[in-house]
Amino acid sequence: MQRSGFFVRAVKTLVTGPPVYYVWVLVLLTFACVGIAAYSKQLQTGLIVTGMTGYVSWGFYIGNFTFLVGVAAAAVLLIIPAYVYQFGPIRDIVIVGEALAVSALLMCLMFVTADLGRPDRLWHLIPGWGILNLPTSLLGWDIVVLNGYLFLNLFIPGYILWKAYHNEPTNMRFITPFIILSIPWAVSIHTVTAFIYNGLAARPFWNASILAPRFLASAFCSGPALVMLLYQVVRKYTKFHVKDEALFKIAEMIAYAMAINLFLLGAEFFKELYSDTHHLSPLQYLYAGLHGKGRLVPWIWCAFAFNVAAFLIFLVPATRRNFATLNVGCVLIILGIWIEKGIGLIIPGFIPSPLGEVWEYAPTAVELLVTLGVWSLGLLILTLILKLIIPIETGELTKDARTAA
Amino acid sequence: MKGKNRILVVAVAALISSTLATYWGLLASIASAQPYVETFPELRRDLRKQLEPKVKPGEEFPVPVKPLPKDISPCSACHGPKKDFPINFRRKEALLVHRNIELNHGGVRVWCLDCHHPEERNHLLPLSDGTLITFEHSYLLCGKCHGTKYRDWREGIHGKRTGEWNGKKEYYLCVNCHSPHSPRFKTLEPMPPPSKPWTPKDESAKH
Amino acid sequence: MSDRQFTDEESVPEQGHDDVDPKGPDRESGNTREPLPDRRTFLKSAAGVLGLFAVSSCTWQEFFQKNFKQMTKEEIEGTIERLRTQYKEKYGKEFVVGAEGPIDGTLYAYGLDIQRCIGCRRCVYACVEENNQSRDPQIQYIRVLRFKRGNMDLEESTIYYNPEEVPEQGYYYMPVQCQHCANPPCTKVCPVQATWTEPDGIVVVDYNWCIGCRYCMAACPYMGRWFNFAEPVIPKDRINTQTHYLGNRPRMRNVVEKCTFCIQRVRKGKYPACVEVCPVGARKFGNLLDPDSEINRIIKTKRVFRLKEELNTQPKFYYFFAI
Repeated sequence: MQRSGFFVRAVKTLVTGPPVYYVWVLVLLTFACVGIAAYSKQLQTGLIVTGMTGYVSWGFYIGNFTFLVGVAAAAVLLIIPAYVYQFGPIRDIVIVGEALAVSALLMCLMFVTADLGRPDRLWHLIPGWGILNLPTSLLGWDIVVLNGYLFLNLFIPGYILWKAYHNEPTNMRFITPFIILSIPWAVSIHTVTAFIYNGLAARPFWNASILAPRFLASAFCSGPALVMLLYQVVRKYTKFHVKDEALFKIAEMIAYAMAINLFLLGAEFFKELYSDTHHLSPLQYLYAGLHGKGRLVPWIWCAFAFNVAAFLIFLVPATRRNFATLNVGCVLIILGIWIEKGIGLIIPGFIPSPLGEVWEYAPTAVELLVTLGVWSLGLLILTLILKLIIPIETGELTKDARTAA
Repeated sequence: MKGKNRILVVAVAALISSTLATYWGLLASIASAQPYVETFPELRRDLRKQLEPKVKPGEEFPVPVKPLPKDISPCSACHGPKKDFPINFRRKEALLVHRNIELNHGGVRVWCLDCHHPEERNHLLPLSDGTLITFEHSYLLCGKCHGTKYRDWREGIHGKRTGEWNGKKEYYLCVNCHSPHSPRFKTLEPMPPPSKPWTPKDESAKH
Repeated sequence: MSDRQFTDEESVPEQGHDDVDPKGPDRESGNTREPLPDRRTFLKSAAGVLGLFAVSSCTWQEFFQKNFKQMTKEEIEGTIERLRTQYKEKYGKEFVVGAEGPIDGTLYAYGLDIQRCIGCRRCVYACVEENNQSRDPQIQYIRVLRFKRGNMDLEESTIYYNPEEVPEQGYYYMPVQCQHCANPPCTKVCPVQATWTEPDGIVVVDYNWCIGCRYCMAACPYMGRWFNFAEPVIPKDRINTQTHYLGNRPRMRNVVEKCTFCIQRVRKGKYPACVEVCPVGARKFGNLLDPDSEINRIIKTKRVFRLKEELNTQPKFYYFFAI
């Protein structure tokens, strides 16, 4: 009786909202449908409809996947300052962060599936039924940690919100170990994702041990920047309160993370430039062009400029504490890291090829549409999750509220 | 005090986190590591025995015999002590009859009778023990000058073999690939190059 | 002589479209891509996506087929029967799909005399013919690299040279294909064990188990792996019906394939097709465990090197100079 009552009311919450909510959901739904149509085209014809070739065998999908793993990891890593500095009630921050993590993870899984040639054989990955090649395949290990992380991020807010809905006190002694566990798990999903590329001796661009730390540092920039924007939206449209101080604190943290990110990039640059071996070629392709081909050069310098600008914005207290500049910084950093990681990290790994050929890559329309579809679906999921959980969080949607009504 | 505890907990969690993933990586490395395989333990055995050729000199080779052109009569029909063409050990600038032969083998160092038997015209020059060499066994003659090539060929390193890697093989003779009169390998027309992969530029060119 | 002869005329791939499957995607050549799908295509594909399994056109048996390594003898026989029916429908010919296991006491290795190779690409096309590689989009297991004399810098090499005659003055050639590493980076990264090293040293792929993630392609330092980006197109009259499950049987789209040392030939004692066709005898093949095999004599008497040895992939593909 009670349970069905919850579902009915949950659906009611999801379908009622201001006009802007309907427009937003409809737009996302349309894009999602476009993406699905493009994906079906890819399924029917084969991956030839993408820009990927035998030379650049991973492209836009895997780039977005990598970026989003970072977002998923960093969204939860925000728990650390919240926990250390005891910033307000911890569960507020945890829950929105974890909602973002869940949708980012689902997008990751969608991107990996979109990249697969044979999604009909996904069951081959299920241990027992198929064969999951553990422990040797880092991709296999990544699938395990991503799904474990997804479970964790569904379980923690699920428990907290269930308790909130029933007006029962959250048993922090029970849930804290899970929250603590999610911290190393967040780090591990991104480390393992870095290891997927890092472990390949065939690709010197990735085969540098600085890769995993760089992944984490850049994730600490892009993830929190997204969270900041998200908090502001949530704060505007709901009764959910986030203190300004919390946002400024996050911005400060991003500045440090960006400093580390730029430092690691510099270290990488020094090593390659000074030793001046053939391992310099991918970096040269990315930043200056190689053998007359340099499709990514303007992109990566934009990313560099964005990152440095955002770093300065977040470093100076005056601009950090001004919402106009703060939001500009957020957007710059999201774009900067997305280019740096989504494009600048995956594609140059394949250029030049292990046999020295330079063949460039650019996503095709189908790839762009599928990517658009996945992002729309992800944002839709995020919207719906937040639409549902924030009223519970703020106490508008509880068991008692129904009886009162 | 409580804040300090929290920092401690986070520090421990961070420590675990950085090691957890890393150690999995190590586990994966160990599990997939291959010991360096000593591929040729037999190399340690008696080297001299190993280097003995598998096929002894003079032994028959399974070779596709290259027949002489049909319009050619036995050499002895014209050449011989009492025939029209006397033995000539000196190089001539122009061959009267064998105009189709382009002699480009060793420059001025080599002349017809450095390979062809001056008297026994249906044979090639003999081995040192006096055994006459037939045209079918010309490789024995080639081996007299090209010793290292001959050795490699006997072992299957030089030249071509077809058939079974572990059984019946057919060996190509020296003369199957190299004309004895002009032994340099002829140039060939290459097969077409591979098609180039799709590149971003092509798309704009297409529209 | 070999049962299949490769002459120049035969090996040239068909450039025309007469024998290309009309149902196949309408493409001008292997290197063009689909343009932006129009609205009608969208509607059609939206309907198509409803049936993921229909798209893959699998039978349930095929869908639930096990990894080859885990099949029982009966399951292998059943699978082969099904494949033969499938191939007959598609190509109109009776196929032999072998599943011969490794011969005891064999470990295959390959030798390539780069002193001899003249870069004529006969091997490339013999391989395409023998192994039923897709002509469009083009898949060729062997890349023949041309270097300028004086260095071995991969970035300075090309595979697109096209002179009237080879060899060319001032250049030398080095064909590269799967090196059948003893420590292969490609097999260990596969998330589903769809690729592995057979006991006789051949690195194979189960095309029906591969999920198409292309991780192995990223891991291979020799570009030894190829992906069927579209349904492979092989003219019906060019198909080789003498196949092996792990070798040259026709592949499907979106799976990885590679050189298998012509597993369908070598497990029957024959030389690989590229060895048979090489006009200069630069290609050598044999059993490493047989001290008298050609490959062993090469290793013992010649200077050999292996490509990118610093990566410790331990290739069983030896380049040598038979001076």
